[in-house]
Amino acid sequence: MSILRRNNVNISGNGARAMLFAHGFGCDQNMWRFVAPAFETGFKTVLFDHVGAGRSDLDAYDPEKYSTLSGYADDVVEIINELDLQEVIFVGHSVSAMIGALASIKQPQLFKSLVMVSPSPRYINDDGYEGGFTAEQIDELLETLDDNHMGWSAAMAPAIMGNPDRPELGEELTNSFCATDPEIARQFAKVTFKSDNRADLSKISIPTLILQCEEDIISEKGVGKYVHQHVIDSKFVLLDATGHCPNLSAPDQVIRAMREFV
Amino acid sequence: MDEDLEDLYENAPCGYISIGTNGHIVRSNLTLSAWIGIDREDLLGKRTKDILTIHSAIFYETHVAPLLRMQGYFDEVALDLIKANGEKLAILANVAERRDDKGNHLFTRLTIIKATERRRYERDLVEARTKAERGLQLERAASELREQFVAVLGHDLRNPLAGIEGGIRLITRNISDEADRAIMVLMLQSVRRMRQLIDDVLDLARSRLGGGIQLNIELEQPLEPVLAQVIDELRIGFPDRVIEWQFNIADPVDFDAGRIGQLVSNLIGNAITHGADNEPIHVQASTRNNELYISVSNAGEPIPPGTIERLFQPFYRGGGKSKREGLGLGLYIASQIAEAHNGTLSVHSDEQNTTFTLVMPTRQPVDTSATDEDR
Repeated sequence: MSILRRNNVNISGNGARAMLFAHGFGCDQNMWRFVAPAFETGFKTVLFDHVGAGRSDLDAYDPEKYSTLSGYADDVVEIINELDLQEVIFVGHSVSAMIGALASIKQPQLFKSLVMVSPSPRYINDDGYEGGFTAEQIDELLETLDDNHMGWSAAMAPAIMGNPDRPELGEELTNSFCATDPEIARQFAKVTFKSDNRADLSKISIPTLILQCEEDIISEKGVGKYVHQHVIDSKFVLLDATGHCPNLSAPDQVIRAMREFV
Repeated sequence: MDEDLEDLYENAPCGYISIGTNGHIVRSNLTLSAWIGIDREDLLGKRTKDILTIHSAIFYETHVAPLLRMQGYFDEVALDLIKANGEKLAILANVAERRDDKGNHLFTRLTIIKATERRRYERDLVEARTKAERGLQLERAASELREQFVAVLGHDLRNPLAGIEGGIRLITRNISDEADRAIMVLMLQSVRRMRQLIDDVLDLARSRLGGGIQLNIELEQPLEPVLAQVIDELRIGFPDRVIEWQFNIADPVDFDAGRIGQLVSNLIGNAITHGADNEPIHVQASTRNNELYISVSNAGEPIPPGTIERLFQPFYRGGGKSKREGLGLGLYIASQIAEAHNGTLSVHSDEQNTTFTLVMPTRQPVDTSATDEDR
């Protein structure tokens, strides 16, 4: 099974520099559909699904490998090497911001810069650290996932309407959110929300852009500022937007902030 | 009388919420207020995270909101609302974005149904399934341990037994007293019976652990001498019984002599035990169309249909005239031997006779000729 097939890698655009987009928890690469096209002139844009999400190869899901974010970071490095990408700008949403950070620490020579969209190095509160959640609340979340996967199947996956701003696309994409194996989804949730990568922040050696929404219950402003404080060469931009997915709810702001940075 | 739309909205059998582009609740209905104990006026301006439990809010942000932006709707989402008194209310919701002609977002609309019983039922199902799966895993692990134990035990018993047998033979050479010799003969018979029991148990354990019966196949072996020897042995053991045979083996056959002998011996032995003792037992062997047929028939009481179904299962001893010795493994192992030869063992029983038939290909593929080191 080729790496590109395993991670459902899709390449567009043109350019010497590569932009690698990584989706976060609960989504797949389709969440970049309002942002990635804006960079197709000037960059080779690469989108992929983490193993276990979207249309990745579910058979490749190894519970042990993917029990830490490091396993996902290894996949990122593999994709970059497989495509022989140079000077990669890694754009990671939510937990993928940390996955990208880990990948850049493993192989700094492959990366040019990091864009972190709504990142958090740790979600559960700790002494002197406000992650935003208690351990009990995270456990209840995992139960909610079970409730919501009851009875779902790939056959019921609804269709995504084509982007109204780009009618020439015209196709209906099958929504692969629902098609994910519920057990894998649960595992990924566990790994995400129980992660702690605070100690890794200071090891990031490349320029980093941090984008945070005004109101985001999952990655609050305070957390974004924490990341900014601990990453040496970082820039913090507060977006006038609410929610956890500004790449979907405020794509223009995200594009603008990224254009100024890269 | 026509429906009053205003009343239909406010007092619908479901809850309605409309959220504006800024994420604030702009409208909700009376039914929802009744369910969660918060007035419509107090709900105005609130956000989804204010009326959902934390975990539901996280789920909403990570799954529902992105999908709403991408495809405009999200159906059948299970969430928990927070009531005024702090309690949870389990609900099921359909959520949809209302957009204008240009595709700009106007409202996010939720239709809410109570789902307390449904949630409880679904959680029970999930829990029951998890328990069953875990139980099955434990059972499988225990079963495998048991089989391995049996295999090791059987194996380890063989050596001491061989020692006893060898010792008896040596001593017998120096015994001239008739009474003592008779005792030695009985002891040897007992040892042989034990060895057979151990072999049967080992066969069972190995086939259950997935190895199957290992065969030592000789290509184009003469079959008649093997069958003749089996019949002779049984005639000696049971001189009062009549065993008739008809052999028409025209084609060469690939088979494991020891195992086929064991199979036929088992079938004839059963016929002797369970068949009418004043009627002959018929053994037939023939080849046609590249297949070997061996059948053993006896007269007597037919096997009841309920018994026939379970005849080839291990440890099944049936009622009535089951052997006093033996573990009920003979037919099971015989059917495994048939399978290992890519054949089948079947039975037909009625008032006239009971017939066991082995059908197998005369030629075996080359890689079936594995050696059995433990024989």
